[in-house]
Amino acid sequence: MISSRNLSRRFGEFTAVDNVSFEVPSGGICALLGPNGAGKSTLMKMLTGLLAPTSGEAFVAGYDVRKEPLAVKHAAGILPESLGLFDALTIDEHLLLSGPIYGLTHAETRRRAAQLLHALSLEEGRDTFLNQCSQGMRKKTALALALLHNPRVLFLDEPFEGVDPVTADTIRNLLAAIAGRGVTIFLTSHILSIVNRLADQILVIRGGRVVWQSAASDLPQSLEEVYFGLVEASTVDDLPWLGSPQS
Amino acid sequence: MAGIAPILAALARVIWRDLRTFSTLTGNNFFLVVAFIMIQQVQSGLFFIALLGILLLVPLAGDPMRKIPPDRLTLWPLTRSQRIALRLSSPALTPLVWLAIPFLFRAARIPVALAMIAAALLIQVLLAAWRHIMARRPPLNPFRAIPKPPGKLGRLMQKDGRQFLTVLDPYVALLLCLACIIYRLTARILDPEAGVILSLLVALALSTQAQSLFGLDLPWGMLRYRLLPLQGREILLAKDAAFLAILLILVLPLAPLPGLAAGLVALGIGHHDSVLRPMPQHRWRFIGGAIFPTGFFQVILMMATGVAVARQSLWYFAGATAFYLASLWYYGRRWDAG
Repeated sequence: MISSRNLSRRFGEFTAVDNVSFEVPSGGICALLGPNGAGKSTLMKMLTGLLAPTSGEAFVAGYDVRKEPLAVKHAAGILPESLGLFDALTIDEHLLLSGPIYGLTHAETRRRAAQLLHALSLEEGRDTFLNQCSQGMRKKTALALALLHNPRVLFLDEPFEGVDPVTADTIRNLLAAIAGRGVTIFLTSHILSIVNRLADQILVIRGGRVVWQSAASDLPQSLEEVYFGLVEASTVDDLPWLGSPQS
Repeated sequence: MAGIAPILAALARVIWRDLRTFSTLTGNNFFLVVAFIMIQQVQSGLFFIALLGILLLVPLAGDPMRKIPPDRLTLWPLTRSQRIALRLSSPALTPLVWLAIPFLFRAARIPVALAMIAAALLIQVLLAAWRHIMARRPPLNPFRAIPKPPGKLGRLMQKDGRQFLTVLDPYVALLLCLACIIYRLTARILDPEAGVILSLLVALALSTQAQSLFGLDLPWGMLRYRLLPLQGREILLAKDAAFLAILLILVLPLAPLPGLAAGLVALGIGHHDSVLRPMPQHRWRFIGGAIFPTGFFQVILMMATGVAVARQSLWYFAGATAFYLASLWYYGRRWDAG
């Protein structure tokens, strides 16, 4: 359902994504992991048609992301890192804007919007303008937009960050349920505990290169141990003034 | 005072940076036209300068303390007397007060300076009273009243209409339109030529928006547009329809066809910068665009087309429409090409 073949992206001399190849079958949940600046968002942007690759090719739901960008957008639901929301619209209006653009009738859009707002606990704030919403509400709105048109493939950039634990669990259960119905999910996250319970395929990227790729069930150790083994351990600089008597 | 001095210094820095956002006026087509009028005859331009001044009064007189995030202000370990001192000294940082200082140093202009300072304080008191009243009521947002046109692009058009009304340009046009309506209501007959000129001035006041259609969407709204399964021409059409709807309402009491023709030309030329060189814009400021070449050609061709529609033939309106449609098609493709 998602296929990447030797996908690369260079910005001048800097190679953000280097020769990345992988396949995610229909109904699979693939987690893309890596430290900040590893190239995760760049790879996500290329897969969703937001950024043209320098070389290589990618297919989403059978469509070439470079040649058929509109078809990819119709087939995919996308939660971008920056959410991409309009300050001049309320939560409800975002959903009502999106439905007809994807070909849903007004009544169907309203029905689905009401269900999504309920599922994501957004009902109370539905008439709030986005510039007055909390980060969690903004994230949930962007997620609702990604789901509204019943996509065959979901690209979710950090879906669990900035939301409360109950909502994170709701989202995790929702994603597991829709993957069970054949929706393919490709997500990035830094919350390894959730990824561990959700993903069935793990892709670790570092410096733009894939450094680990396997089924989740094939991990030789816990996900955390594998991850820290692949990514440089952090060092803590000594800050002697911290904790000393106040000046 | 020692405790609040760094806060006042930071506040002054923030306000100074904010003042730079007013410089967008120098890239505004209406400012270009006013400057041209004033080169010809200073007195003729004073009316328009007064219009710009009226609209800038409120943003220039805003309460400087509003620049400090309320949570941050609460978190700072300030004593009660320091908070009072901060509150009392902050009006001195109001941009309108700064603008009054040059007048203070010229003895003959002291009343002007005092009037500016009084206006700044009065506006701050009124705004504070308004916020106090509104804090106890459900949030009021007049932009909710903007209707949603039918069709799949209707909600986008509604959003675009709201955005267009959060900058000062349409309010210059509105003041021009209201001045004309008041003139007519006082039973004076408006010279048909004056109606055409006023209609073109209204279109000119809006025209810089036509070269910065995505300025208020940057950066995140622009990303949402890229995610939507819409073609470039559809996205531009929604923007243009919102622009033309506002223009139509404003030129309806004046001379609709010349005004609309000028609007179509403004959009036709403005698509270039809107699609290929989108510039971020600020709410409650004038839109800043490129005076040359885009603004210059917009002004010249808008005036020429508007006058031709009024004096020569409606075929010029058809020509403006054809030019607009060609631009929509071409720049829609450029959008799609990314």
